[in-house]
Amino acid sequence: MAKILRDGDVWSGAALAALGIYILVQASAWDYFSLDGPGPGFFPFWYGAAMTTLALVLIISKVRKSNAGQEPQQGIQPETQTGTPQDKPPLLDWTTTGRALGTWAAFALAVVLMAPLGFVLSFALLTFFIVAWVFRRPLLTAGITAVVTALAFHLAFPVALGVDLPTGFFGF
Amino acid sequence: MEIASGLLHGFAVALQPYNVLWCFIGCLLGTIVGIMPGLGPAATIALLLPLTFKMDPAGGIIMLAGIYYGAKYGGSTTSILLNIPGESSSVVTCLDGYQMARKGRAGAALGIAAIASFVAGTVGVIGLTLIAPPVAVFALSFSSPEYFALMCLGLALVVLLSGTSLTKGLLSLLFGLWVASIGTDLFTAQARFIFGQAPLLGGVDFMVVAIGVFAIGEVLSSIEAGDDAEVLPVPRGIRNLLPNMEELKACRFAFLNGSITGFLIGCLPGGGATISSFIAYGIEKAASKHPEKFGTGVPEGVAAPEGANNADTGGALVPLLTLGIPSGGSTAIMLSALVLWGVKPGPLMMQDSPDVFWGLVASMYIGNVVLLILNLPLVPLFAQILRLPVFILFPVIFGISIVGAYGASGRIFDLGLLVGFGLLGYAMGKLKYPTAPLILGFVLGNSMERALRQSLMMSQNDLMVLVQRPISACMLGIAVLILLIPLFGSFNKARVRAITENG
Amino acid sequence: MTKRRLLLAAALLVAAAVPVSAQQFKPTRTIEFVVHGGPGSGNDVFARTLNTIIDQEKLSPVRMQVVNKPGGGSTTAAAYVVSKKGDPHVIACFTNIWLIDPLLQQAANNRPQDMSPIARLVVEPALAVVRADSPFKTLGDFIDAAKQKPGALKMSGGSIGSRENVVRQLLMKTTGARWAFISFPSGGERIAALLGGHVDMMIVDPSEAGEQVRAGKLRPIAQVSDRRLPGFPDVPTIREAGFEITNVPQMRGVIGAPNMPAAAIEFYEDMFLKVTKTPAWQKFIHDSELDGEFVKAAEFKAFLGTFEGTLREILKEAGAKVVR
Repeated sequence: MAKILRDGDVWSGAALAALGIYILVQASAWDYFSLDGPGPGFFPFWYGAAMTTLALVLIISKVRKSNAGQEPQQGIQPETQTGTPQDKPPLLDWTTTGRALGTWAAFALAVVLMAPLGFVLSFALLTFFIVAWVFRRPLLTAGITAVVTALAFHLAFPVALGVDLPTGFFGF
Repeated sequence: MEIASGLLHGFAVALQPYNVLWCFIGCLLGTIVGIMPGLGPAATIALLLPLTFKMDPAGGIIMLAGIYYGAKYGGSTTSILLNIPGESSSVVTCLDGYQMARKGRAGAALGIAAIASFVAGTVGVIGLTLIAPPVAVFALSFSSPEYFALMCLGLALVVLLSGTSLTKGLLSLLFGLWVASIGTDLFTAQARFIFGQAPLLGGVDFMVVAIGVFAIGEVLSSIEAGDDAEVLPVPRGIRNLLPNMEELKACRFAFLNGSITGFLIGCLPGGGATISSFIAYGIEKAASKHPEKFGTGVPEGVAAPEGANNADTGGALVPLLTLGIPSGGSTAIMLSALVLWGVKPGPLMMQDSPDVFWGLVASMYIGNVVLLILNLPLVPLFAQILRLPVFILFPVIFGISIVGAYGASGRIFDLGLLVGFGLLGYAMGKLKYPTAPLILGFVLGNSMERALRQSLMMSQNDLMVLVQRPISACMLGIAVLILLIPLFGSFNKARVRAITENG
Repeated sequence: MTKRRLLLAAALLVAAAVPVSAQQFKPTRTIEFVVHGGPGSGNDVFARTLNTIIDQEKLSPVRMQVVNKPGGGSTTAAAYVVSKKGDPHVIACFTNIWLIDPLLQQAANNRPQDMSPIARLVVEPALAVVRADSPFKTLGDFIDAAKQKPGALKMSGGSIGSRENVVRQLLMKTTGARWAFISFPSGGERIAALLGGHVDMMIVDPSEAGEQVRAGKLRPIAQVSDRRLPGFPDVPTIREAGFEITNVPQMRGVIGAPNMPAAAIEFYEDMFLKVTKTPAWQKFIHDSELDGEFVKAAEFKAFLGTFEGTLREILKEAGAKVVR
């Protein structure tokens, strides 16, 4: 039972079912059908319903599969004593997932900083973080990479090609 | 015979030294614009418009058209090397192109993209030259029921794009349909799913979704996999930098498929290059002897969509030049340009302005050759980007993603959306949800809903109109057949199992 | 007495002269000309044409730059303009959609009346057209047929707040006829629908359909305009065809950021008035079949106030959800 709750498919299925229900609720506020044909609620109703249904199918099929899988395991439990860790696999390997999520958080922060600080500074900070923390390079390498790539982008896009990048308080 | 004489006249115009120069400049600019996400051909054409006022109309339209179809050549570059679509119609090239790069065949993928673009682009121009008038009539006969059936056909192809889990593929598709409906409903001006955010009134920008889910998602997944994850292998030696004979042979059908699909869908005023590249990809997979390999890096998976988005340019010029009807951003601006120059695009353009008309058509033959010569030698050069150490490459990808998402709209809000879709792409990769159906759903969602509602409005809520019209009935029939393929597959498996168990 | 009067007159003259020169506005930085479409859109081309003329005729002491703020109709551009409150260097290209979006969208909370209307530059006329092989020779024919078969005839157009739907609503209300309105997102698709026979009529800009008319594929049955366009001398206006409907001009004008000082408004009003007198502008108006009657700031602002009310009523009758 516990295994089900740790299953990614079950969680994503639950999230999608919730989204599907949200869509259905919103769609009910709009016209489903009007004199002129289907209204704005028509399409969302159908894909919302389909989403909810399929998400539940996903959850149910996962639950059934893991129930079916558990029974034989209970029968041969003594032999799997040594393999008990297999019964409860770690939900997430936090070293690797943490790295990815940390990078994402840094990216999100960089975007937030782009309004006040502008592209060049925020991007330099992001690059520094990625090189130093994710790839564990020496701080000097990180610093140089950050400055060089940020400048390269600044020269290539706003200056040479005329593509605007976010500018902040400092004007660049 | 007037076609032949017109074309000869056109070559006489197009081969004048200045016009050749404009053609070259247009193609070069187009390639650069296509390579860079954040720069689009429509915006570039609009920006250069004032400069062209001083030029003669034939030269001007030759250059602008060069930018338009040149961009389709460059768009595949970042798609293949970085999983970032350089141009919205290059998104399908990411699916197999990037996978080929991961297997060390980046050069081959870039080469195939260039060759497919050339073949299909030229076929598109031949179509424009020879069969433009009947194709224009065909395009006009396409009404909303036919568009709806075409979109259904496109969506049915998701069945083929779902990989192992059909449920997850469908869920991905439905999510894409939902994101597509964020914004203002065309018919009633009802704002849907905007969460009170005014910037969402215009909907979510395609590049934000595509770059977020593909590029950022991929980078985050690679970071999770660790430093020892595959750094993209750099192809070494001339032999590895270009496609080999085996790969080219595999693409024979793809060249044809891309050309025809792209051209036909391109000539529809409501069609689009992205849609035609998806459908060409789907057809290629459906007709393939090894469909399960699509998505892992097969050359046909690059050739079909790349060809389609180039043939699409020839198709899109059919309604523009024969009827004066634009079918998309770039052609709309070219229309304004023609009007500003005093050339009147429409049914009378061929007789009133033969210089411009035939000069443009002839220049496209020249342009496609120029682009092939321009792009093929650049392949080894671009492939060197992969030499960049991963710790530099990944920040660069983030940077280019920001440029691509910010470039179109200039709103920091879109960067926020990019962050969100990046996380989504990463989560989907981790949870094994295929991402291609999401993009497909997003691309087709709005068009499909619109076409259905238009059809019902026109037929006064009579649903039968969809099967009463021959073309739409055909396409819906094919869509249903495609949807039944997995059922056949599982029937077969059940049958085989039954036979082996009993036998 | 005379001396005192003279002194008084002199003092008054000096007093009058000083505020006048203090009121004259001169821009000191690049003027931002905000456009609510992307590069190449109709508004963008219009704005860039204006910009080119101003540049060539040297009507502005500083550079003027077109700034594209596309998104959500006019909402992104309107929000941007409002964010520059008090800045006399920010102006925008105004069209009817700036009035309509706040009426229909809760999230679009920037009304043009809260900004600084500067001038109305053009009114865009339209043509009601049918296919050349259509049985309808006049607008009356079409409306009669629509009365006989309510809902059976169809016209193509943009969204529910678009001009063509507004005109349709007004005509339907006056005549009691009823016909369907099919929305298409782009002009190309709308014309294709008519040419392909999937709809029966459309109301369209003369510049979009002009070539089709010239080639004999489409036939204009009425003009949506106060007076007949020079390019279509034989086509009656709606009023001439016998249908009295409220005037709903499709306008293009200039509007400034909120709280713009009166002197700045005057400066721009003056500058654009000069533009309309140039031969380049005259040619542009003529080629694009536009009505170039210039309306000054005060009158423009007053008109916007009443026009908003008119549009609100029409949209309500059309069945749109009006939120303001």
